[in-house]
Amino acid sequence: MPADNVTIYQPDKQLHMGFWAVWKEMFVELARSRELIWRLFLRDFSAKYKQSLLGVSWAAINPLITVGVFVFLNRSGVMNIQTADVPYPVFALLGLTIWVVFSKGLAACTSSIVSAGSMVVKINFPKISLVIAAMGQAIVELLVRIGLTIVVFIIFGVMPSGMALLFPLLILPIFFLALGLGFFLALLAGLFRDTVNLVTLLTTYLLFLMPVVYPPPESGILGIINQWNPLSIIIVSCREAVLYGSIPNLGGYMWSSIFCLVVFLISWRLFHLVETKIPERI
Amino acid sequence: MSDDIVVRATNVSKKFCRSLKHVMLYGAKDIGRNIVGLSSRSEILRDGEFWAVDNVSFELRRGETLGIIGPNGSGKSTLLKMLNGIFMPDKGKIEIKGRVGALIEVGAGFHPMLSGRENVYINGAILGMSKKEIDKKFDEIVAFADIGDFIDAPVKHYSSGMYARLGFAVAAHVEPEILLVDEVLSVGDYKFQQKALNKILKLGEEGVATILVTHALHTVRFMCLRAICLYKGEMICDGDSNKTIQAFQTKMNQEVTVNLKGLLNQGSNEVEITNVELFDKDRKKCSVFKSSDSMIIGVEYFAKNKVLNPVIQFGVVRDDNLPCFCGNTEMSKIKIESIEDKGYFEVKVNKVMLTSGKYAVVVIIFDRSMASPYGANFMGEFIVQSDYPRTGKSCPTFMVDYEWLAY
Repeated sequence: MPADNVTIYQPDKQLHMGFWAVWKEMFVELARSRELIWRLFLRDFSAKYKQSLLGVSWAAINPLITVGVFVFLNRSGVMNIQTADVPYPVFALLGLTIWVVFSKGLAACTSSIVSAGSMVVKINFPKISLVIAAMGQAIVELLVRIGLTIVVFIIFGVMPSGMALLFPLLILPIFFLALGLGFFLALLAGLFRDTVNLVTLLTTYLLFLMPVVYPPPESGILGIINQWNPLSIIIVSCREAVLYGSIPNLGGYMWSSIFCLVVFLISWRLFHLVETKIPERI
Repeated sequence: MSDDIVVRATNVSKKFCRSLKHVMLYGAKDIGRNIVGLSSRSEILRDGEFWAVDNVSFELRRGETLGIIGPNGSGKSTLLKMLNGIFMPDKGKIEIKGRVGALIEVGAGFHPMLSGRENVYINGAILGMSKKEIDKKFDEIVAFADIGDFIDAPVKHYSSGMYARLGFAVAAHVEPEILLVDEVLSVGDYKFQQKALNKILKLGEEGVATILVTHALHTVRFMCLRAICLYKGEMICDGDSNKTIQAFQTKMNQEVTVNLKGLLNQGSNEVEITNVELFDKDRKKCSVFKSSDSMIIGVEYFAKNKVLNPVIQFGVVRDDNLPCFCGNTEMSKIKIESIEDKGYFEVKVNKVMLTSGKYAVVVIIFDRSMASPYGANFMGEFIVQSDYPRTGKSCPTFMVDYEWLAY
């Protein structure tokens, strides 16, 4: 039996492997799963819109209504959000565009393994592909919202800065954060179904607690939280880069990005270590 | 390890948990231990856990077809899932050489809203094929599945047979070196089953090792030279498939007889069949016959009340529950006025004509319309030893009376 061709299954296999050997195994698995990730993404995408009249436009309708509600609340004086030199709809929509990567990504990743249910129990394939493919849905929403944002920018005659071109790069940390937390939550959902509900609830209310549709407050409890919350820092930085062409809190942005990457790597490794325990618990 | 061994299981065990609460608790504990780098100590049985597969070891060579049999809940599917890597063993070690094609359930991973074509690509990718490989095999897959124009219809509109055919077609074209099949062929019709079995045999000739989990003992007899039998997680037999089937039957015998009795005793019990005995042509008690022998079945009964115009039927059932033949007084145009109290009848089978195997005689006494039995019994087990050369693969049921007219 030549060793390279042989798969070995035994308990606690990874515990007997070296630290770097596990990383290597993880990257090899990821590289091998590219095709599968793409297929699973296509499957979810086309199945989602197959029997719907409006199809992908739902991805645009959703933020339009959310922004509409906030604009209405702002105009009618219930809320009073001051956004200096940018029209409020532009400001809010840009915030929601950044936010969707986190909220949609987290929700999709969390339920990815549980909703694949029977497949996970009956076929052996890299489960990581399910989680990453779920992230694809967040990308679709992001693209649609970027298109929508461009339209709204034109309507209100706002000129974004040149740094707007870096936008896809700047929100990358949010991807890693969502995917990282998604790995962890997908595992947790495999054990406790409550996780899926909890994440839906959390992302809904986090929207109000983070400076997504309003500028970050300077003082108060919310001000302090936002000062130290990596996600808030990245959201604010991304928006400021698009609108004004500069990131005032560049140091904060850098540290937050590193934080996101570390969360991603730790969660990925964790996922890799325990994914074999998931099918028997589903 | 010699070169042509492709699967080796060494003392493999797997434990499961009975209650869902424990599943969550233990799961969280195990995962927690793994996260901090501790072993999950899976070899220890905790409260509420049991061994679903217990200390199973075997080897499989290239081109070999191994049957796994056993009653429900004996651990067959769990073992197969471990071989596929879906479950990790809690004890022991599994070594697999080469690409594994697994059919734990046909069409697992099919999305009901998508067309057959889309699902072939998705399923192929899940089973580890690249797009190029699927492109190359696509026509072959569709031809094998035999679903024609339906390939572009959503699979939710498929019949269950079409669903199964497409699922099997994809998995069989993955070009595996090891094929794991779990009781999936029973979905399709006879024609498809034959096609699927033939495909497995053909793959076997090409060197693919197959593990077949099934309840259809005749399939094991036909497909596998070797079989293992699991009983409550333990392997009770490993060897020639006929030997293993016999071991399985011996283990199950008590239960089977009881079950059949329960089934047959649905009659009104007005007539009790008290004894069935088998004799050879010299009227000596006998339980081993040759295909060309004659057999006399003697039946004693006891009718509590007088029964008018009963029909007496006898039949022979093989050990895998295949009904072989039967006869009754109605077919022979014999009219019985009535039976009462103790009585006895006898029927002679002129030629047994069966091939080697274990059989049993079923006797039923019906009412005139043959709608409800007065009484029935499953007795008189016998063995047939035929001269038919056993190759292990093909095994006909009957040896008919024939002669060559020209040669």
